[in-house]
Order: sequence, then C-alpha cells, then structure tokens
Amino acid sequence: MSLLPLLIIIPLGSGFLIPLFGRKIKGIADLMAIFAAFLSFALSLLFALELKGSGVLACSIGDWIPPVGLAMVIDGLSGLMLVVMNLVAFLVAIYSVAYVKDSRSKWKFFTLLMIMVSGINGVLLAGDIFNMFVFLEVAAMAGYFLVAFGTGADELEASFKYAVMGVVASVFILIGIAFLYSYTSTLNLADMANTLAIRGPSMVLPFVATLFFMGFGLKAALVPFHAWLPYAHSSAPAPVSAMLSGVSIKVLGIYVLARIFFNVFGLSPAISLILITLGILSMVIGSVLAFGQSDIKRLFAYSSIGQIGYIALGLGIGTPLAIFGALFHLFNHSISKSLLFLNSGAIEHSTGTRDLNKMSGILSAMPVTGYTTLVGSLSICGLPPLAGFWGKIIIIFACIKAGRPAIAFIAASISILTLAYYFKALTPALFGAVKENGSKERVKEASLAMMLPMLILAFVSIAGAVLLLPAVGQFLFNSASSVLSNGAEYANVVIGALK
Amino acid sequence: MAQDIILYSVFVPIAAGIFCFFLPDRMKILAKTAAIFITLLSLAAAIYLFIKKPAYWPNEIRALFIVDNLSSFIGIGISVFALLVTVYSMGFQEKAFGRFFAYLLMTLGGALGAAYANHLVILIVFWGFLAVTLYLMVNMEATAAAAAAAKKALIIIAGTDALMILGVGIIWNLTETFLMDRIQLPLTSFYSFMAFITIAIASFAKAGAMPFHSWLPDVAEDGPTPVTAYLPASLDKLLGIYLLARASMSMFIMNDASNMILLVVGSATIVLAVIFALIQHDLKRLLGYHAVSQVGYMVLGIGTGTAIGMAGGLFHMINHAIYKSCLFLTSGVVEKRAGTTDLSRLGGLAKLMPITFTCFLVAALSISGIPPFNGFVSKWMVYQGIIESASAKNYLWVIWLVSAMFGSALTVASFMKLLHAVFLGRPSKDFTKVKDAGLFMAFTVVILASACIIFGVFAFVIPLPILIIPAVNRAIAYIGIWAPAVATLLITAGIIIGFLAYLFLRPQSFRTVPVFEGGEDNTEFARVSGVEFYNTIKEINPLGAIYAKEEAKSFDIYYIAKRLIYSFTRYLQKIHNGVLPSYLVWCLMGMVVMFLILFLVY
Repeated sequence: MSLLPLLIIIPLGSGFLIPLFGRKIKGIADLMAIFAAFLSFALSLLFALELKGSGVLACSIGDWIPPVGLAMVIDGLSGLMLVVMNLVAFLVAIYSVAYVKDSRSKWKFFTLLMIMVSGINGVLLAGDIFNMFVFLEVAAMAGYFLVAFGTGADELEASFKYAVMGVVASVFILIGIAFLYSYTSTLNLADMANTLAIRGPSMVLPFVATLFFMGFGLKAALVPFHAWLPYAHSSAPAPVSAMLSGVSIKVLGIYVLARIFFNVFGLSPAISLILITLGILSMVIGSVLAFGQSDIKRLFAYSSIGQIGYIALGLGIGTPLAIFGALFHLFNHSISKSLLFLNSGAIEHSTGTRDLNKMSGILSAMPVTGYTTLVGSLSICGLPPLAGFWGKIIIIFACIKAGRPAIAFIAASISILTLAYYFKALTPALFGAVKENGSKERVKEASLAMMLPMLILAFVSIAGAVLLLPAVGQFLFNSASSVLSNGAEYANVVIGALK
Repeated sequence: MAQDIILYSVFVPIAAGIFCFFLPDRMKILAKTAAIFITLLSLAAAIYLFIKKPAYWPNEIRALFIVDNLSSFIGIGISVFALLVTVYSMGFQEKAFGRFFAYLLMTLGGALGAAYANHLVILIVFWGFLAVTLYLMVNMEATAAAAAAAKKALIIIAGTDALMILGVGIIWNLTETFLMDRIQLPLTSFYSFMAFITIAIASFAKAGAMPFHSWLPDVAEDGPTPVTAYLPASLDKLLGIYLLARASMSMFIMNDASNMILLVVGSATIVLAVIFALIQHDLKRLLGYHAVSQVGYMVLGIGTGTAIGMAGGLFHMINHAIYKSCLFLTSGVVEKRAGTTDLSRLGGLAKLMPITFTCFLVAALSISGIPPFNGFVSKWMVYQGIIESASAKNYLWVIWLVSAMFGSALTVASFMKLLHAVFLGRPSKDFTKVKDAGLFMAFTVVILASACIIFGVFAFVIPLPILIIPAVNRAIAYIGIWAPAVATLLITAGIIIGFLAYLFLRPQSFRTVPVFEGGEDNTEFARVSGVEFYNTIKEINPLGAIYAKEEAKSFDIYYIAKRLIYSFTRYLQKIHNGVLPSYLVWCLMGMVVMFLILFLVY
C-alpha cells in the first residue's frame, strides 16, 4: 500500500480529532495541529526526495484498474509544490499558536486550518479532475470560514465577497468539468489527455477553456477576477492571510491551471496568449493599485495580484526557461509573501494598527520582525542577492529569449513599480525615529512562536538562490518545469506508473 | 592564486560585514578593528591585482571576473576610499551607529565585486546589492527625512538596475554571451541601442547624472555625512563612470547618436545642477548638487569619444571622488563641531578650525577648476576632448564646450558663497568654542587635500601615466600646453607677491566695533551670512523659469513618475467601488472576451 494518501489523511484526520479533544483539553489543539503539519511536511519532503530516483509516484486507491477509480499522483511539479506549501503550512501552524492564543475558539481555527491543508494536499495529489475539484472546494470552504474568523464587520464582509465570488467560480469549473466529461468520457487527467489528443480539436475546448480560465483564474486572483483578494487577504487573521497568499492562490489557481492546460489540453498559442494577457493585466493593475495603499495588509494583498501575474506570464511564455523562472518565482513568492503576512500580523499585534502612516521605527522597536520584513520585501522586489531576484531575472531573460522584448520591458518596469510601492510605504514605518506614544506601553517584539517561523522564512528568502545550484536543489525545479514543458508526456508517464 | 585574491577581496569584506552586523553594541570596538584591518587588506589586494593583472580565470567558468587596467584602477580607488572613510569614522561615530562598519564592509565587498565582474549577471547582482547597502546606510540616521531620501535612492538606483537586466537580456540574446570582454556590439539595430541606453541609464543613476540625479541631493542633505562621502561622492561615482566607460569603450561600438546622448546628458547635468546649487542654503545639500554637476564632466568626457576626452572623464572621476569626499568629510567636521549645516547659522569658522578650513579651501579650489589643483587638469583634458571631437560639419561642440565652461564658472561662484558662509564672515555667537577636527578626521581630510594638490601638480607624472592612460588604452595627444610644475611656481609666486602687497600697501588700519541699534548690541542681526548671495539670480528670466520648475519638482523623475502613477491609481481605486455585483460583472466580461479570443484563435 502506498503512503501517498497519508498526505491527505493526516491533516484531515487531525482536523477531525482537534474538535474532539481540543475543546476539552487546553493547549492540545495547537500541539496536534503542529504535529500533523509537521508530519505532512516531512512526508512531502520524503516523497520529493523519492522522486529524484523514480520521477513519478502514483497509486490507485482501492486497486481499481486505471484509468477507472481514484488515482493519486506525485510528479515533479506536484512534488515541488507539496514541499513548499507544506513548509509554509507547518510554519503558519507554529505562528498561529501565538497569534490565536487569546481566542476562545482556538480549536475551531486549527480545525479549519488543517482541513485547508488537507484540501491543498488533495488538489496536489489528485490524478483525476473531479477529485481535484472536490479538494479544491474543501480548501476553499475552509478559507471562507477562516477569513471570517475574526467575526467583525470587516471580516464578515470580506468573507461574504470571497465566498460569493469563489462559489461562482466553482460553479463554472464544475460546468467545465461536466462538458469535458461528456466529451472525453473520463475523469482521469492522464486518460483525458490521451483522449483529447486522439479526438483532436473541437468547439467544446475553447468553451471549457474559458470556464476554467475564469474559475481557476479567480482562485488565482488574476485580473479581472481579482476583486475578492484585497478584502479576503487583508481581513483574514495574519496566518490565514499567509496561507491564502502563499499557498491557496498558487495551488488552487496557478497549479491547477498549469496542470490542466499544459498536461491535459496541451499548450496552444491561444492559451498562451490568454495566460500572457492575464499575467500582464494582473502585474500592471495589481501593482498600480498597490501603489496607493498605506494599509500594510492591503499593500501585500495587491502585491500578491501583481506577483501572481509574473507567474502567469512566465507560464504563458511557455519556453522551458520561462516555466523554470515562473516556478522559481512561485516558490519565492510563496515563501516571501507568507513571511510578509506573518510580519504584518506581528506588527499589528504589537502596534495595534495596520496603517503604515501611523508607524515609525519598527526596526529598532521590533528588530526581528523589522529585519525579516525588510528581507521579505527586498526578496519580493527582486533585489539581489535575495531569492526573488533570480526568479525575476529568469522571467525577464526568458521573455527576451522567446522574442518578446516588449513584454520583458513591461515586466522590468513593473518590477521597478513594485520596488517603489513597497519601499515608499515601508521605509518610513520601518526606519525613522521610534514614536513615543505617551499613554501606551512601548511596542514590544513578537513572541518566540511568532519569531521562529519568520526567521525560518527569512532565511529561505535569503538563501533560496542556493536551490538553483545544480548540486543542491535544481532537480526539484528542473523536474517540475520539465513536467510542464513536456506537457504531453504526462499522460504516458502517469499511466505507466499507475499500472 | 590571483583569482583566489579576487574572490577573497570580494567575499571576505562581505562576510566580515555580516559578522559585524550581528555583533552587539558593546563589542563595537571589535567591528572597528575588523573594519580597519579588512580595508587595509583590501587595499593591499587591490594594489597586488593592479600590479599583477591576472587576465582570467583559467578553468571552464573562466572570465567570471576580469582584472584589466580599468577595473584594477577602479578597485584601488574603491579600497582607498573605504580605508579613508573607515579612518574618518573612527573619530566621527559616537551615536548608535553600531552597524555602520558592517554596512561599510559589505559595501566594500559589493563594490569590488561590481568593479571586477566580467559576467554581466554578477555585475547586476552587485550593482543592486550596493543600492541596498546605500539604503541601509542612509537609514542609520533615524529621521523621517533620511528615510525619505533613502527610499528615493533605493527606488531610483535599484529600479535602473532592473532596467539593466533588460539590457543585459538583450545583449545575451544578440551575442549569446554574458561576458563583457567578449561583447562588441555595434549600435546599429534598435535593440542593441536599447541595450546601450539601459546600461547608460544604470550608470547615470548610480553616478547621479540627470535626469536620475534627484536622490543625490536628498541623501547628501539628510544622510549621515561619512556615508555621503563614501557612497554618493566616491564609490558610486567610480562605479557609475566605470560602467559607462566600459560600455562605451569596449562593449559597444559607439556611433554619433549614442555619443550625442552622452554629450547632451553631460552638458545638461553640468549646467542645471550647478544652477540649482547656487541657491541652496544647506551646506551638504549644496555639495550634493555639485556632486551631480561634476558627473556631467565625466559623462561629457566619455561622450566625446576621443581618447583624451575619455582619459579626462576618468581622471575627473577619480579627482572628483578625492575632492568631493574631502568636501563632505570637512563639512562633516563642521556639522559635528557646530551642530548644524545650515548656512545662515554658520560663519567665521576659519579661525577656529584652521585645518578643516585649509582642506576645505583646497578641495573647493579643486572642484572649481582652479589651477594647479587636480580638478583643473581633468577639466582641461575634457575641454580638449570636446575640441578634438569637433568636425567640419558639426558645430555642436561649441555648445558642449560653452556649457562645460559656464558650469565651471558657476561652480566657482557657488563655492565663493560657501566659503564665505561657512568659514569667513563674522562668526555667530553660538560657535565661539568650536574645536577643530580630531586626530582621525584631520588625518583623513589632510590626506585627501594633499591628494588634490599632488594629482594636480604632478598630474603628468603620477596619476595619468600610472592609472588613467593604461585604463583608456589608447594613444593620447595633448593639444594645449600645460606644464603644471611651472604653473604652480608662477602661481605661488603670484600669491606671495599679492600677500606682500597686502602687507605693505594695505590701506589705513580700521577698527571693528559691535553693531548698535538704538543703544542695543545688534551684531547678530547685522551678520552677513552669505546665504543671500545669489538670491537675485532667481529674477533673471530664463533662470527664474528654471528655478520655478525645480521648485515644482519638474526635474525630479521620481516625483514625476510618482504623480503619473498616482493618477492611474486613483482611477483604478474609483473603479474598485466595493460593490460585489460590479466585480461579478467584470468576471463575466472577462469571460466573454476570453471566449471570443479562444474561439477565434483556438
């Protein structure tokens, strides 16, 4: 029996056990969540290392003969994503212990968080499109509730908007799946890819592609489907924002888009065009909007839209180098953006405000939070030698190499804009004199449980570039990007592995 | 061996800097020792590399770094200024500048990396890294103004670094290589021209040429003074002009259009920046504008495309680094002792601070291009380069020459004001007990001032044949005759005669009395601070318009871009009205458009 389902079973199981015990026994909810998240991370690391030998891990649940039945697959792409996302989830779980310490319904928080993790893992593991959809909904539902966790007016409004738009997207996705099923008579992704290759182009495909672009594009917060994101990401509790920004939009949106359009549909010029257009729109509009923000979490949220645009752009260019750059950028953005959201939580916790204009001298009052914020922002802005720089430079080079210097110019200009809006808003808050706020006590550094995840994420943001070295971690990105650049091979590889 | 030394001289300072960063404040003495030790070692390594000049790495990943006449000369310059600023800071630092030495060392390593880099991506990495260290260093002055200046510097410099990525990508696409010594790109196609432009912009931003200059006066005014002397005044100039020289001497085959861009930027920078400098009333900000203006000469020299012009540009670069860091460091002494750099409050410090005054005077004469100091020689060479570039059908060279000379005249004018306002005139009462520079600070500024004299008087003996001419690597023919040694003698003789004349022929002795008004002592009120020297210049018509534009920040590319983007932002914010149905409508519209595209193209 393969161990693959454990990645879903462990977080899902803990999601059920936490309410059972967590309500009664004080403090056990946190421990269980951290333990489950750690196991999930360790397992994903194990699988990723195993991939180095075999290339793809697959199992068929209940021993049905594939393509019938439930398939679970880890290939290079999902292996990379699993490691990154579970790392973030694990660190977020640790951070949450301090963040929701005073909440009476702490166990609810951890339950939902673990259900979300199981949904994410499920999407990444699923070898058939319907299970992908189901797990996507599991993760998204947990997300809707988590955004509303604070139960203030803001949170409820944000959650409502997120839920309405998310459900609309899900409906379109479901319709798309129905059409695709009626056309191919199969749900298994690999089998579907083969059938589509045999049956050739049809009118159904552009229709389904539109539905999927809208549905998953909304989950990924690509412009013009992005409107929910600034509400949800800024109103959610900080660890949840980190999960949404660092994990959710990437797995539920980008990963699924890439999987379906590269491995099932096959990348056609039309799909490429749409991805590039959505990418550029997101980059430009997200960044221009972020320029006007002084609310720290809204700033980061709009910046997520802009950075997701880079990833979509890299995927849309479609050359192996561009895909490599996009995936590396995805990795960087996951790490640095969750770091920044955790920072924003720590800052809000200590200063009691999210308004950057009201802050000053964070760096001397809270050195760890301050410096990690600096590292995260520098990395997102793509300043050398931090990890974010390499993703940016690879994407720009890939655009030029693919004969699209105009797009490269846009990407470079938006990176300047990114730099501008981050440091325009953050510099006066981080540096400058420490404000004397008379009656209140002095702003204090975050607690250890908050600092530890921030320090780890900051370390990865700094040292991430090391992963590009062939001896260290390049195989992770290489195998992930080769899965996408050799799109059609996916079907044969998976079917071979299932047999 | 040699390539190991390159690696060590880049990464040992960075590693030491990281180490110092984590040192607690009470072990600051360790950071100081490490800084002195490492900067000395770096200088030794740079001199070794300059003498030996190992060409390349011998193995496959060869040529990641390059040490030739040009880059090893820059390497020496960087190490020297790092050492001098370190020594100066021993005396300057008192406040919680604990991380100063950490950043200083990181900057040293990064700058050496950028200078020795042959692989363009390595260059970009160190280039951006230096923007970050500058940002951190300026921010050590924990004020809101310093934060504003720091973010402006970061956004402009690192932003142009991002543009350079674009240019390097184009170069890579056209030539299939990232190695600078293998690139020889003719500027015939649109894309190669764009690549040149991006690299030129990056060097303009770093060096502070217009229109990417606006961070420099801000940093000069609000940043810590040693930092200004270290980065904007010396290291950033060295690197910016180095890159420009490298690009126009070897990486690109220049043509008339590309030279024209440099000439226009150079002359505009000289004239406009010095015009702005005239009316400043803060010592450091005024110097900051001069740091912009002087870049113009370097760009102009390189833009002439002639060997002597380039040599003049490079020579002016090193000269500028010497006298401008001297000026900043002396004004740092003034700031530290007098507690202000506001010209209206300063005055009459010459008697109290003789060493500082003398050094400042020497540097001021150098920057004004007064013979026999170093600034004169390099400006003279730039003028010769402009004249040599003159051709029969092209009369534009007159404009470049006139603007260069005009700029020089205005420089003299603004330093007259500065000298009067800070050191001469009647001293303010607040400053009767001001002391001169301490040992470390005096040592540094005296060394720099002597360098101004030596590089001027012995220009054709020491700096030019050893440092500059090999770096340009072309035959140079001097047009005019300039024998500095003889001239120095003559000038000295003239000064002595003048002094004797003053002693013996001076008019009736006069007496000094306090100013009374209605029986009250009103000396302080009647003090002529010098700030108002050129206030009337604003009323002269073309200049008045320029000043009005400057006050409206029309020359500040940062401000213009900010306003432009804000107008887009406001529009987009208006659309994002928070109404759910409208968001859903966007989704629907997006779907319709996508479907049409997919339907038509699929």
